[in-house]
Amino acid sequence: MTTLVARSVAALGRALLIAVPVLLVSTFITFMLGGLTDQDPASVVLGDSATPADVARMREVFGLDRPLLARYALWLWDALHGDLGASWFTRIPVARSIAERLPVSLSVAAGALLIAVVLGGVFGVLAAVRQGGRLDRAVTVVTSVLATVPGFVAAIALITVFSLLVPVLPSGGWAPASDGLPTWASFLVLPCVALSLDAAADVARQLRTGLADTLHENYVVGARVRGLPGWRIVLVHALRNGAGPAVAVLGMHVPRLIGGAVIVETVFALPGIGELTKTAALGGDVPVVQGALLVTIGVVLVSSALVNVLLVKLRPAARREI
Amino acid sequence: MRTVTDALRTRAGAIAAAVLAAVLLLAAIGPFLAPYDPLRNGADILMPPSAAHWFGTDYLGRDVLSRVLAGAPASVLTAFEAVGIGLVIGVVPGITSVHLGRAYEWITLRVMDGLIALPFLIFAIAVAALLGNAVHQAMIAVGILLAPSFYRITRAAALSHANAQYVTAAQLFGASTWRVLRTHVWSKILPTLVVSTANATAGGLLIVSSLTFLGIGVVPPEPTWGGIVASDLGYLTQRPYGPVFPSLFIMATVGALNLLADAIRDAGGDHGRARTRGRGGAARVRLT
Repeated sequence: MTTLVARSVAALGRALLIAVPVLLVSTFITFMLGGLTDQDPASVVLGDSATPADVARMREVFGLDRPLLARYALWLWDALHGDLGASWFTRIPVARSIAERLPVSLSVAAGALLIAVVLGGVFGVLAAVRQGGRLDRAVTVVTSVLATVPGFVAAIALITVFSLLVPVLPSGGWAPASDGLPTWASFLVLPCVALSLDAAADVARQLRTGLADTLHENYVVGARVRGLPGWRIVLVHALRNGAGPAVAVLGMHVPRLIGGAVIVETVFALPGIGELTKTAALGGDVPVVQGALLVTIGVVLVSSALVNVLLVKLRPAARREI
Repeated sequence: MRTVTDALRTRAGAIAAAVLAAVLLLAAIGPFLAPYDPLRNGADILMPPSAAHWFGTDYLGRDVLSRVLAGAPASVLTAFEAVGIGLVIGVVPGITSVHLGRAYEWITLRVMDGLIALPFLIFAIAVAALLGNAVHQAMIAVGILLAPSFYRITRAAALSHANAQYVTAAQLFGASTWRVLRTHVWSKILPTLVVSTANATAGGLLIVSSLTFLGIGVVPPEPTWGGIVASDLGYLTQRPYGPVFPSLFIMATVGALNLLADAIRDAGGDHGRARTRGRGGAARVRLT
């Protein structure tokens, strides 16, 4: 057990070490976005009547008179200390706006992840066990169809069915958990399901393939010969080795659950971080966009590291693949 | 390219190719087929489907069929544009990373890792909106984001062939790196690349439809499939089936691309990867 813990910690450390250059590259690209845009906050804030001297002074206030690389280093250094700057227009600290919205996005993403694991896991295992059977073919068809459905179509279909035709759930909006768990959950169910479908389909498909291959291995036959019950062989022995591709695919979906949430946030009118980024980007509020992207990248990197650790736990041989 | 012709001879491959051909035709001549002006408002708003308006009318009385047809080029061709950009920035470093030295390899690997970490849709939205909210900027962003998957796939394929005996033999005969890449490695990678290109185009279409749904990269009256769904969103109580028509066009195109990728893969276009949608092998295991 202690070796397992030590191995997990070591894997987490290695994953974070790899994340450093990744973080530098992706944050630099994010920062360059601000450099490429022709938005000049000084003239935007001051309006048309500003004199060139006013604009120059304002550019100094915003720190825009320094060279780009120096601004990047400063921005990253401040960000590491929790300071993401302030919105160009409202002067509200970016970190505060993000802190208000992050719980919404994270609960939707976490709920979607949970649903994807449960749905994908159950149907993937059932399809693998009943290979070639009716259920297997049904899972194949449903997952193939789900792979073609855009997120917003899934969201609208869920609203149409569960809010209009059979009005049991709200069609949008948000309530914090302090308003009582049932209320909170009722606003969360449809967005989570809508966001999870794509990932659930992929997990089911990968789990079916991985598990189906594993079930042909000699040690599975050996376990059968030893008289172990079928469910035990599948869930304890085979799943451990067959779940690798499914977990890897799940890891690939984590960034999509966080970054793709903007669709469900728009359709269900959720005050999430995706919605914040979209509105800020359309308004040209560069610091908000940069800060929101930075936080999202951080969340993505941490969750990818966690998925890698999970992979190592599942299958020690996967250590080399990190 | 025998695997592609083999794939087209299977039933699934033939159906996928037929649907794709129809969609491409629609993208080429769709705007000329529209029975009405897709931008003209009418008095009959939110009409159900009828003989005069096959898909009904929207909240401004515009003919939905005309809007779907007129929106075909902006909805489909943009995805191809993004995939084309992704192919160029992914495949070239993918192949060359294996053959042009360790430093170059390390840099390309790190850059691609950095691109993977970018949250897909949000980043595309940010780029498109900050750089002038135009569709081509959005497609450049999507192309850049698609590049890492092309990079990984071509790099994996190139790695598996880099130390093959025929490559060593060619080098012993004095072939240049460029010649080895062009005549030996490229032809081996091509089938894998066709499969992933089809899959990436399907993914690109989903992204494009999501962006246009959010109103990114389009000017409002101009019809796109995602945008038509968005305009139906406020009128679900009157026309709950409204989003069905444009959605079906998106789903059919995406489905056809995925089906084609599977057919080519099953025809042997991609030896390295496990089949994801096999029918269940001959050796069935009963465990319950």
